[in-house]
Amino acid sequence: MEVKEIQEGQDVRDKNIRRHRRWGDFSVPLLPQFLLLPVFLFSILFFSSKLHAQTTQPSVAPAPSHDLGGVWMPFPDKKENGEPVISGIEEKTRPPLTPWGQARFDAAIPFLGPRVQPGKENNPSLRCEPESVPKSLILPNPFEIVQIPGRIFMFFEEFHLWRTIWTDGRPLPINPDPSYLGYSVGRWQGDTFIVETIGFNDKPWVDAYGNPRSEQMHLTERYRRIDHDTLELRIVMDDPKAYTKTWESSPRLFKFEPGWEIGEYFCVVDEEVDYAGRVRKPAGGDVTAPEK
Amino acid sequence: MGGKDVKEMEEVEEMKEVQEVKDKNILRRSRRGDYSVPLLPPFPLFSLLPVFLIVILLFSPKLHSQSSQVSATPLLSHDLSGVWMQYPDGDVPGVPGMNAVDDRTRPPLTQWGKEKFDAARPLVGPRAVAGQENNPALHCDPDGPPKLLNLPNPFEIVQMPGRVLMFFELGHIWREIWTDGRPLPKDPDPSYLGYSVGKWEGDTFIVDTIGFNDKLWDDSYGNPRSDATHLTERYRRLNENTLELQIIIDDPKAYTKPWVSPPKLHKLEPGWEIAEWFCVLDEDNAYDQVVRKPAGVAPAEKK
Repeated sequence: MEVKEIQEGQDVRDKNIRRHRRWGDFSVPLLPQFLLLPVFLFSILFFSSKLHAQTTQPSVAPAPSHDLGGVWMPFPDKKENGEPVISGIEEKTRPPLTPWGQARFDAAIPFLGPRVQPGKENNPSLRCEPESVPKSLILPNPFEIVQIPGRIFMFFEEFHLWRTIWTDGRPLPINPDPSYLGYSVGRWQGDTFIVETIGFNDKPWVDAYGNPRSEQMHLTERYRRIDHDTLELRIVMDDPKAYTKTWESSPRLFKFEPGWEIGEYFCVVDEEVDYAGRVRKPAGGDVTAPEK
Repeated sequence: MGGKDVKEMEEVEEMKEVQEVKDKNILRRSRRGDYSVPLLPPFPLFSLLPVFLIVILLFSPKLHSQSSQVSATPLLSHDLSGVWMQYPDGDVPGVPGMNAVDDRTRPPLTQWGKEKFDAARPLVGPRAVAGQENNPALHCDPDGPPKLLNLPNPFEIVQMPGRVLMFFELGHIWREIWTDGRPLPKDPDPSYLGYSVGKWEGDTFIVDTIGFNDKLWDDSYGNPRSDATHLTERYRRLNENTLELQIIIDDPKAYTKPWVSPPKLHKLEPGWEIAEWFCVLDEDNAYDQVVRKPAGVAPAEKK
């Protein structure tokens, strides 16, 4: 099992490297983006009284104020044999499940982790169902943050997913239709960007291990750019239908990757079925065979 | 059942489907439309704009030469941002048609193109065979251009330095068009969306895309797309509320000549937000069982 997991992690990693390199060899400099940073710093210096105060204590590479823009790659939070391993939000911090949550959890058969039953996996991603938050924030794939007036976009490489976070001061909707991504609003509180999301459906898992999500989930993400190259994220899940208490993750770190572009990585059912037939099922086949 | 009845049934079904899509759209969009809070830009980014312009003026010799012939609203004319909805093409009165790039203008197919076209069994149109449809969309395969640009669903354009982003409601697809002056890549890996660069030529925004795979159709009718496709999109904002788009498909592997669409018009929809509309296999299968197959089974005269 460990070998399979590591193999899968390696597959994902190889894919990533391939993807990122693919478009990385352009010789033309990125002129507007190149101009953007100095201009941005200029404008910050001119207009932000807050930053004036901070410039008196300069560090090596300070985080630009209220700017999360760029491609971010999660630091692996666990390694086995030197390989990064896909992890949950953090199983150790998970509060007890409610009976509803427990039933959902028991019905979920992941293809990773200690609860694996080869041949019986039912991860929604095996049918290429849409990914969503918070799971997309946990997977070992990069995302890009783009800030425009009134909105922040997040582009996840995994499944080519994008989401909108409204920053124009609007409130959360009162009775939103359940959806995969929910409805998100964000605001700055000091140097922390706080995203709140409601309006989820209960179809995806919150991680690769089958932990459930109900439509009562109120998700809070707290982003803080610790220095120029490091983003910290804290995930807080308040889902009283599935968990008896609020589930708070320990801080997760992301590395700034200025040279990367988000590649095209769609989930395609036919390819997924093909992959399962060639790789996943044969690898697990020995275990399932006696049951038939 | 006679052939005429079958055709009529299919037409009715087709119209029903279009109507359903329309109804869904209305439902989706009215859902989030009732916010009273104005769109206030966050402070730092907003402050960036004038400074950015000044720096551009100072450092770019190209723009200096252009600024000598400044017109009244040069920047507004290079603005495509907003949510755009297709005007109906008029195939079915009052209903936006799920039409092709334009079948009437299609050049002859190559041998390769003909084989692909014959193997395609669309859901709609004269070649629909009930129960045998094999649209990639039925497996929730990702959609891509140019088909995304033909379907009767809205998209949003967002412009930012170095890039133009397009967000399509259908399939929750986004694509990026690089406008930082980079060339098209030399030998890109085939992909669903391809690799796109854009530039302004006068008041026309021209998007060139290569690097497609050959898995998708160009439209809902099964017209093929090969990996040799060079797609050109020419966007021109005719006035505040109207965007014109001309699609040029140059695909020598599938078509004997470039396929040039007549201009397609889009209407600005300032109050709309692009809603979440994913293709979900389970839901599509359920729809298949409940609606599509039962409606299609009778004409197939099996069992």
